[in-house]
Amino acid sequence: MEHALTLDRVTKSFGDFRAVDAISLVVPRGTIYGFLGPNGAGKTTTIRMFMSILYPDSGTITVLGDPNPEAVKDRLGYLPEEKGLYKKMKAAELVSYFGRLKGMAAGPANARARELLHRFELGDWADKKCETLSKGMSQKVQILATLIHDPELVILDEPFSGLDPVNVEVVIELILELKRQGRTVIFSTHVMEQAEKLCDAILLIDKGKKILDGPLADVKAGGPRTVIIDYDGDGGVFRGLPRVARVNDSGKHAELTLEDGASTQDLLRQLVDRIAIRRFDTREPSLHEIFVRAVGGKTHA
Amino acid sequence: MRKIWLVAQREFLENVRTKSFWIGILIFPLILTAAIVVPALLEKTRQARPFAVLDRSGWVLEAVQEQVAAGAKRFVLVEPALDAQSAAAEDTLNRRVRDEELFAYFIIGPDPVRSSAGSEYRSKNLTDSDLRDWFGELATNAVQARRLEQEQIDPAIAEWIREPVRFEARKVTGAGETEDVSAQDKLRQWAPLIFVYLLWVAVFTIAQMLLTNTVEEKSNRIIEVLLSSVSPVELMAGKITGIAQTGFAIIASWIIAFFFITKYVPGLLGAPVGLDLTVLTRDPVYLASFVAYFLLGYLLFAAMLVGIGAVCNTLKEAQNLMGPITILLIIPLLAMLPIGRDPNGPLAKVMSFIPPFTPFVMMNRAAGPPELWEYVATTALLLVSIGLALWAAAKVFRIGVLLTGKPPTLREILKWIRAPVGTVAVRKEPR
Repeated sequence: MEHALTLDRVTKSFGDFRAVDAISLVVPRGTIYGFLGPNGAGKTTTIRMFMSILYPDSGTITVLGDPNPEAVKDRLGYLPEEKGLYKKMKAAELVSYFGRLKGMAAGPANARARELLHRFELGDWADKKCETLSKGMSQKVQILATLIHDPELVILDEPFSGLDPVNVEVVIELILELKRQGRTVIFSTHVMEQAEKLCDAILLIDKGKKILDGPLADVKAGGPRTVIIDYDGDGGVFRGLPRVARVNDSGKHAELTLEDGASTQDLLRQLVDRIAIRRFDTREPSLHEIFVRAVGGKTHA
Repeated sequence: MRKIWLVAQREFLENVRTKSFWIGILIFPLILTAAIVVPALLEKTRQARPFAVLDRSGWVLEAVQEQVAAGAKRFVLVEPALDAQSAAAEDTLNRRVRDEELFAYFIIGPDPVRSSAGSEYRSKNLTDSDLRDWFGELATNAVQARRLEQEQIDPAIAEWIREPVRFEARKVTGAGETEDVSAQDKLRQWAPLIFVYLLWVAVFTIAQMLLTNTVEEKSNRIIEVLLSSVSPVELMAGKITGIAQTGFAIIASWIIAFFFITKYVPGLLGAPVGLDLTVLTRDPVYLASFVAYFLLGYLLFAAMLVGIGAVCNTLKEAQNLMGPITILLIIPLLAMLPIGRDPNGPLAKVMSFIPPFTPFVMMNRAAGPPELWEYVATTALLLVSIGLALWAAAKVFRIGVLLTGKPPTLREILKWIRAPVGTVAVRKEPR
């Protein structure tokens, strides 16, 4: 089966600035794929290129098996980071309008818009103007407008930014639902924890360059194991420990990367008298750790 | 094409739902009706104006008495029963004028046949000269009759001597013949001014609607969602089409309103229809050129404003950039009267060939009328400019709509227009 998206050495410069530098990647169908990287890494530019909003300087893009992304635009659903609604339009009208722009006929678009609004508990708001919706409701309406035409590939650019925890859950549930329906979801984020929970595969980019990509399990397996410690006490003890390569200390939770061949037993022995340890665990490195290591610890996500 | 139509349809529906659309539709008929009804009503409701006359000649008042009684009902002669010769009478009348018992009073000098010495008109209100003109004419007639009598001149001869030389206006027609000029023709001569003004208002309002609308769409951050479904050029074309539909709805309503109001409203007021204004709406040349020039003028300014709208994030920024275009638009309005007076003069000819002015100036010259080659040449030039402007606007639009932050300078915009598509940086301000 063809892939949902293939990029081959795609490059895009703006004047002297190379926003995306020879990025290649494969997004298999039916997966949740994360574009990860700090702000300004080139995530949005990459997305805009396969959405045919920008055009690459070189390289090829194949979307849903079609080498001309513009031809399959109607089978994609895109929710940009910067998004809004027509304030004076009614919610149902707006959702239906976007369906029609994607090629749906008026009748089915209207019916489907109402059905979606009902399913997402916005039935009472279908005939209200968008300016009366709360932020969370607006976000839902925007997502519904992205999904009304049953796109095969859904692209969400920073879908969690500015959302409260309840609405983050709503969006996560929606992404999982899309996956259950067999659709492909690409989303970008600079928050590693969310990506870690959701993604089947990831692309890590920084300053326009690909750092690594692939299934999440492979990415994680490739890195050295880390030690997770939940503790109470003075985190200063982690400083100056022998044979520890790196420390990510969050105050009550720390992630330590050991040098090759170092023993976790020795580490535990050194710590046990100095802080109260609630959990001591070895496991694969977190995405955050992988990311920090990959970009040389200079960038803070 | 289908997407352009969808965008246009949405624009149109959204505009139709706004208040400013209905204000645009209603304002013109309201102003027109008011312009007809208010003066008529004012005429009816004017107050009676009592006045008095101190006749020191002893005969003039008597000579005009009959005409005064038979004349305008608005002016009521009050007999003050005062000694006309005494200075005290003036004081009394001054007081009565001050207390507004009298609107005014006249003093007729002792010997009006010899000279006007000592004749005066006294009132608190000197701006309304109706009474003065009316009574002055009656008195003049009486005095002149007395003078003719005294000099033993036949009144018929006097009439003949006073006869002015009148030049009858005749219009040279296209066939090189002359024809009588009726009031209708005079109206036709000046009608283009009405059309130019309406054209101007229409183009200005509608193009501005487009600007506001584009900026709002940008500040609403809805543009990028739209761009995932339609191309920037489709979006721009759809917006321009949708707003053009709105504009046509408004001017069509104006034309219909103009026809009905000028036809029926004066009749309803019982006033005689002095000039049949409906002739304007029945003249196919005016109507057709009005509609055509509206479309062309709108397209040219729409291209400019949609470009401006695309690079701005707030209405305030847009208004700043809009400044030079407003000035450009005001020039044909300033030239309206001079061109109306001399529709084929050098000013008119030169301005016809400046594309942003062409629609207004050619409409302005319709009574001339300009020669056919001028119509062809100016329209061709205008069409080429519209093509160029739309092409440039499309380039600016595609870059501008994704731009956030400070609007670009004119120099940057010109660079975008010259650069090949897709090579210009879209700035993204960190948040």
